[in-house]
Amino acid sequence: MIKLHPNSQQLSEFAQGQCDSGVALIIAAHTDMCRQCKQKLTLIEAELAREAMAEKSSPDPAFDTMLANILQMPAASGIEVSYKQKKLELDGKEFVLPRSLQRYADKINGWSHLPGKLWQARVDLGIDGRADFTYMEKGGSVPEHTHRGTELTLVLDGEFSDGIRNYDTGDFIERSCDHVHTPHTEADEGCLVFSILDKPLHFTSGIARLLNPFSQLFFK
Amino acid sequence: MLVGIQLETRQTQRPSGPEIANEMSTYLQTVASERCKASFAEIFHYFAPRVRSYALKQMKNEAQAMELVQETLANVWQKAHLFNAEKGSPSTWIFTIARNIRYDMLRKQQKRKEDICSEDMWPVLCEQTASDAEVSLDHQVTLEQVGQLFSGLPVKQKAVIEAIYVEGKSQQEVADELGIPLGTVKSRTRLALQRLREMLEKDD
Repeated sequence: MIKLHPNSQQLSEFAQGQCDSGVALIIAAHTDMCRQCKQKLTLIEAELAREAMAEKSSPDPAFDTMLANILQMPAASGIEVSYKQKKLELDGKEFVLPRSLQRYADKINGWSHLPGKLWQARVDLGIDGRADFTYMEKGGSVPEHTHRGTELTLVLDGEFSDGIRNYDTGDFIERSCDHVHTPHTEADEGCLVFSILDKPLHFTSGIARLLNPFSQLFFK
Repeated sequence: MLVGIQLETRQTQRPSGPEIANEMSTYLQTVASERCKASFAEIFHYFAPRVRSYALKQMKNEAQAMELVQETLANVWQKAHLFNAEKGSPSTWIFTIARNIRYDMLRKQQKRKEDICSEDMWPVLCEQTASDAEVSLDHQVTLEQVGQLFSGLPVKQKAVIEAIYVEGKSQQEVADELGIPLGTVKSRTRLALQRLREMLEKDD
């Protein structure tokens, strides 16, 4: 069951098209998976529309030309192609992606195997920061770390824990420099997440601290 | 066109709220089914000044605001068949079209190489093309391939990477063990990671 959702502020900014693209994409993916947020979004959009469409600008002579121009345009073909659901494949497993992430399955620059039974595939979104699909095998973990910026994570499949709490499929997780965590999974099927990170990870404990100079591997 | 005639007679007294929504829904359906220009004109006269008021608040200048209005209303004319009254009111639908176009216009202006477009997130005018949907997914790198890439590294770089990433040793430990300066360990690590990254990118 999904317990963690974007807050109202985030949903509202998303509905207005005001948040950063990476953030918007991960919120969109969450709403694809979460009926509750989808309904909220519909209400927010209706309210925004009511506000935005309440005011009229003064009449403009350019409108007549505009109307005439538009009426010259042909109708778009009404053919809707049923779309084939794309799957993400890794190590013999297949994952169905939320609609908004489907297009990015093609943009994966290959999976890298990282220490700790982790697989990571960066997605080039052209945004500041980075976006990744990360797959943790059963028993896999990321060394304890915190963030210099904000990390948004969406659980796409499976579940994991980070020493703070447990996360289930569909959960939307926000982590910042206030949190030190150690994500790991014991789920048999492992766990696939999508995350957006605006600054490198900062490893905090033991031998993993030595990874800090290399955290560009996690954040290239 | 019976529907059109009925509605036109109500012109003098503008209804509000749900009535407007019903009226505009009917116009949209008539545009979709009959390409009715008179119905579209009604929609245009009601919404163009409203979308413009929204656009003036969102865009930097008048010209861009008008471009946003034109694009939005052109989509309404061309894609009226995608309006679904069960999903929401005409003004919500038109607002979401304007919001999407605004998003894509601003994204282009930023001149950043952002690849995310509005329809990914808000599928308001979603008509996927066959070619988009059929692109296959064959970009995975298997563990075996990664292993092959790794074995393609120069011996000295491989030893350093193995010691640090597989055995979990510190750079200093590696330096002591191999009897080489710490700086050398660092540069070999950097080169190896760079090389692996290049190979991964090329591989794909």
